[in-house]
Amino acid sequence: MPSFGCTAISGRNKTVKMKMTFAGVAVAALLAGSAASAQDVIGYITKSATNAGWMMINQGAADAAAEEGVNLVSVGPAFQGDLSSQLEVFENLVAQGAAAIAVAPVDSAGIAPAVNDAMSAGIPVVAVDTGVAGADVTSFVATDNYAVAKVQGAVAATLVEDGQAIIYVTGNQAQSTGQERRNGFIEAFSAARPNSEILEVPTEWNSQEAQEGVEAILNSRQDIAMVANAWDGGTMGAKAALENLGFGAGDVKLVGFDGAGDAIAAMDDGWVHANTAQMLYQMGYQGIKAAAAAARGEDVSPRIDTGFFLVTPMTSGTYKEMVGIE
Amino acid sequence: MTDVAKTHANSTLQDRLVLGLVKFFRAEWSGAFLAILILGIAIELATSGRPFFHPSNLMTILNNSAAIGIVAGGMTLVIITAGIDLSVGSVMGMTAALTGYVASFWGFPPYLAIMTGLGIGLAIGAFNGSLVAYFGMPAFIVTLAGLSIWRGTGHLSTGAQATPKLPDTFDMFGRYNPFAGLRNAYKEGELSGFWESVGGFVDDNWINFFRTFQMSMLIFIGFFIVLTIIISNTRYGRWVYAIGSNEPGARQAGINTPRYTLLTYMFCSFSAALGALLFLGRAPYAKSDYGQMWELDAIAAVVIGGTSLFGGRGSLWGTFMGVILLKLINNGLTLAQLDTFWQMVVTGLIILVAVGLDIVRQSKNPESVRKLLGAIAAVMAFLALMTPGAIYLRAKIALLEHGAATTLREAGTSLAAGQNARLLSPDEITQFQSAASANLGATLLLLVLVLATAFVVLKTSRLISFGLAAVFIAMILPVSLMGYEITAPFLVLGAAALLGSAYVHALFAKARTLDVNAR
Repeated sequence: MPSFGCTAISGRNKTVKMKMTFAGVAVAALLAGSAASAQDVIGYITKSATNAGWMMINQGAADAAAEEGVNLVSVGPAFQGDLSSQLEVFENLVAQGAAAIAVAPVDSAGIAPAVNDAMSAGIPVVAVDTGVAGADVTSFVATDNYAVAKVQGAVAATLVEDGQAIIYVTGNQAQSTGQERRNGFIEAFSAARPNSEILEVPTEWNSQEAQEGVEAILNSRQDIAMVANAWDGGTMGAKAALENLGFGAGDVKLVGFDGAGDAIAAMDDGWVHANTAQMLYQMGYQGIKAAAAAARGEDVSPRIDTGFFLVTPMTSGTYKEMVGIE
Repeated sequence: MTDVAKTHANSTLQDRLVLGLVKFFRAEWSGAFLAILILGIAIELATSGRPFFHPSNLMTILNNSAAIGIVAGGMTLVIITAGIDLSVGSVMGMTAALTGYVASFWGFPPYLAIMTGLGIGLAIGAFNGSLVAYFGMPAFIVTLAGLSIWRGTGHLSTGAQATPKLPDTFDMFGRYNPFAGLRNAYKEGELSGFWESVGGFVDDNWINFFRTFQMSMLIFIGFFIVLTIIISNTRYGRWVYAIGSNEPGARQAGINTPRYTLLTYMFCSFSAALGALLFLGRAPYAKSDYGQMWELDAIAAVVIGGTSLFGGRGSLWGTFMGVILLKLINNGLTLAQLDTFWQMVVTGLIILVAVGLDIVRQSKNPESVRKLLGAIAAVMAFLALMTPGAIYLRAKIALLEHGAATTLREAGTSLAAGQNARLLSPDEITQFQSAASANLGATLLLLVLVLATAFVVLKTSRLISFGLAAVFIAMILPVSLMGYEITAPFLVLGAAALLGSAYVHALFAKARTLDVNAR
């Protein structure tokens, strides 16, 4: 599962060539082919090749690899959330002697044994976007989801009065990303608006679940002032729910997470009032930079925070310029 | 004379009730319908605010069932022919993405884009169906391959990018509200006379009723009506059932089975494409990752609706109920704000119950029905038990984990963060100990009730059932005194189930005599 939305970002259309495969043979062949060159081979196991957000991360990874002069072997899972194919790819990369591995785990705990094997074999492992639970990694390169979600919650609190009820659309609660975003938001929001009721719509990062859940609650209660979302696929699902029930822009406020292109466009139309954007490109770029440095034996910081940007109607112009949304 | 007449009138009323009951349980959709009713009542009790059975909430459920419902409708026919189509989710995703793609980026007018999508659906169905019907390949394998092929094709052809918001024409398949124009005209003051009063009525009841009266729901219901008429009144419908119950026999009887199999697969993929259009009518944009896992939801809906996976038996209205049950679970559990992980467990349990009801219904065996009712009473007793029991268990487990962590620490092991969190402060220890002892009495009392009911499921007489039902009712007083008034509805429902179970045999005997008389 991706940790952010199934939403479009219209900038940066350079496509990353991604090998969608059940791993095994293809990886072996690639590594064998590259063994002739002197370049270090960096394995990059991504979570998705089709999600708009992941495409930006993958682009960052490809650009960093080109800059560092390393040979990047990118492998995506056969389908989103497929742990077994990630484990298989991981083992193949270790067996074939990759100099370092960057991985975006689909399952924080499930990937841990493979990470342990690689680390004990002396291969540096860099976790990108999602952490590894139960194993040490060389470096963890990601937005601090919990800290950003606290900012999101605090900003959201300023948009409603104390006592007004709101909806929070969660991400997958079996993943650290989903848990941290929910906990951070709820802690900061409840601290500022202790008398506001928070109704939760559980999802597994699926905008259809978000749309149907928000529609159900909005239809049964007339007192909802805002819908806050754990990712921008949820934001777009919540916007569709509002449109399905005939609400107009601003009738119920929307707060997003990710800074995806269509959520920013919805902000310009008056639907979305705040959005905490991850620096997606930076995540892939700095992840591969760290992996390349570790492969050369240099010291790498164990935690690299790629930061965030608070997008509001005031700052949306700056943000669009920064990430290249026309 | 009058006495005789009265007795006669009474008995006919009773007879009619019994016959009505028999007729209800003969319908394939009765299992799913009962599950919907029971779940609805449970959610009604658990939620505050607007009633769960409010028309606008029911219409919201219908609106959100429409897309998957039409996909499941096509799936029903395939399953009745003893086939399966695992590719519907991928076909739905691909046609949704391509329809949106050609409308947004190739400048196709909406109607042409819609035709393209439906055409793609038919073409894929022809591909799947030919392989199954004319090349003898197993449907499971052909459509499993399709699951991967069409998802990949959808991603490849659209670059897995979302489209911008689609033109308003697509709203006609989804969020378009036939009353919206009338209401707007009323608000603008353009109406007069009769239409003004109609407009005023619509506007007054907008939030309560008309807001959720949308095209999705209308198309969904219309589709099932038309399909039912086709299946029950045409030769094609009869052949579908014949192929499913005995294909070699059907072929020997002169039915062109390959042709009708092909037609069925074409219809199924066409339904997936139509489902995609309904989905686009309510979605924020078109994208190739729509419809993931829909094949499983569709199959679940068909099976919940009483259609046999082995073919030859099943009904479209059962599927209709099955889809609504699945969406109702999501809708109701969200409104009840049940914890995410509990929602997963409860969803699975409700599916088991719905299918269990269907199996008992088919068995036509009074003893299984009696056992089912007894089991329901046992579950009600268990739910009552868990009210104090959960508090007791949580306290006991916390104390146990504290003990285990302390033992580890004393043995000199350095504790991990998770283990440290299990250590309790002295205050917490006394808190948990008092919680455990305060709940022990009620827990034990209700545990005895659960065990007694479980025993009655296995072996009973009418007298024991009556007695136990009385114990259920009597139990309300002591547990209420202990502060668990909340368990009263469970105990009442349990008593009702037990009373019902006592009459099952008599009811079946009565129904048999009436059936003989009717003949």
